Amino acid sequence: MNFGYLIFVNENEDVDYLKLAYLLAISIKVTQKEGYDRVALVTNNKEKVSQLSSPWVFDEVIEFEREEEGWNPRSWMDRYSPFDYTVCLDSDMIFFRDYSHWIDSLIGSNLEIFLPSSAYTYRGELICDDFYRKTFTANSLPNLYSFYTFFKKQSSIREEFFNLGRWIINNPNDFKNIFLPKKMPKVVGTDEALSLSAKILDIDKIITLDNNLIKIVHLKPMIQNWPWPADEVFDHVGFYFNLEGKLKIGNYQQNQILHYYKKDVITDEIVSIMENKIWKK
Amino acid sequence: MNNGVLLFVYNNRDIDYARSAIIAGFLANTNLQVPVSIITDESTIQWMKQSDIYQHAEKLFDKIIYTERSTRLNYRNLRNGGLEKKPVLFLNDNRCKAWELTPYDRTLLIDSDFLIYSDRLSEFWNVDSSVLISSAMKDIRGDRCGYHDRYISDTGPDLRWATTVMFSKDQESKVFFELVESIKDNYQYFSDLYSFLPGQYRNDISFSIAHHMMSGHSSSLDYFLPPILTVQDLDSIQDIDKDFVRVYINDPITGQDNFLCNLKNTDVHIMNKNALIDNFDKFERFL
Repeated sequence: MNFGYLIFVNENEDVDYLKLAYLLAISIKVTQKEGYDRVALVTNNKEKVSQLSSPWVFDEVIEFEREEEGWNPRSWMDRYSPFDYTVCLDSDMIFFRDYSHWIDSLIGSNLEIFLPSSAYTYRGELICDDFYRKTFTANSLPNLYSFYTFFKKQSSIREEFFNLGRWIINNPNDFKNIFLPKKMPKVVGTDEALSLSAKILDIDKIITLDNNLIKIVHLKPMIQNWPWPADEVFDHVGFYFNLEGKLKIGNYQQNQILHYYKKDVITDEIVSIMENKIWKK
Repeated sequence: MNNGVLLFVYNNRDIDYARSAIIAGFLANTNLQVPVSIITDESTIQWMKQSDIYQHAEKLFDKIIYTERSTRLNYRNLRNGGLEKKPVLFLNDNRCKAWELTPYDRTLLIDSDFLIYSDRLSEFWNVDSSVLISSAMKDIRGDRCGYHDRYISDTGPDLRWATTVMFSKDQESKVFFELVESIKDNYQYFSDLYSFLPGQYRNDISFSIAHHMMSGHSSSLDYFLPPILTVQDLDSIQDIDKDFVRVYINDPITGQDNFLCNLKNTDVHIMNKNALIDNFDKFERFL
């Protein structure tokens, strides 16, 4: 089985996405068992990767040669992946334990594409609030999250699905006016584009699972089931990363993949802790 | 396996917990078909004798276990049907001693205002889990359950309900109850750590934190006892018998009777303790 994780980094001046991707790759190497721990990085600045202390945590570094802005490069995930089976992750995520059985389940279920249709709070509760997803609700879009996108290279629907997703991203106004007329988004991001692609192709029911196996914690502030509105998660709960590479948010130990969203929470000290862990492995 | 039900009973000037415990004990004994014991103190027993109910207690309870009365004064606001609240004393801080005091191998610890009208909890005697606690509270009207009935604090763990706790007398449950005691003894510290108000000691909070900690500081996937169906203290009892309880469910804004609800073959937590105690005479003929 040729499986691996794929991370895209599109350098910009505001956020050091390579640092986030590097931490994610280390956390994958530390926690996943052999055969499930390969990581490929797609970046527009290959040179910077060699300056990292342990660039070898990326099994492959692939140059992204297209001129794309922001997160648009991610829509090319199917073209850039070197693996037969791939999970493409957002770079602002971190692993805490072995999730290889998720991969076994996805491959064993013969899914050609998979995107989660739910996310969880730091307390492990299902997120039901659509605060950030009004467009999805208003236009009956399938509630898919692209931060964990699984796909199989040898697939009949993969190419069609991603081609349409890219087409939507590159021609947002055409699709917004027709398919997203209510609560129209200013920007059609990867989540909206891939969800719309799934809806148009009528495959939304077959590219997700109802079994609650795959749980990703999503740390956007307004969806944490708190009794009041919040601008920042960490104004209200602490972020406690210990020397073992374990994380507590507030009173909760984090065991699922965490999409922390707030990029500046990842300090050089956290990277250093994880580097120590991988060096000792 | 020696199964049994255990209640903590400490009377005070406002609430005659002894009468409430006799009703709850009678129903538990009748519907679960297991012995029932109480943990109490000398003054409560003296009161039972003075008020001529001790003979019921002697007959009903398998064991009457004496302890020292707690010196920790704990008050809470209690309604007696309607909206008016009155601060009343309650002595509840030695529940963490249930492990060492219980005479049973597997114990169902219940509040003295929890009425067992079914055999549903019998399903849990043989569950392979050292400590089981109720997962949540279910308001009988369905819309009077607040945020802090679900969580111990705004950002903290789920609130579990120590109204029903089942435990085996083993090492795991010993650690659990020691943890509850440690949380009780360091309540201010834990209130800072878990962001809840420490003014009133609540067993529910101590048990919830201990459960949370023993679940690896995360949401437990373990078994739970059923949610506690709750008749709030602003509600009142219309009639009660050994087979049913009929209650007026009051509106939380007006405090007036909204509708009448008959509960049969359903376990229920009657938070209006005085309404329960006032109906003691209806049970005397069964005792």
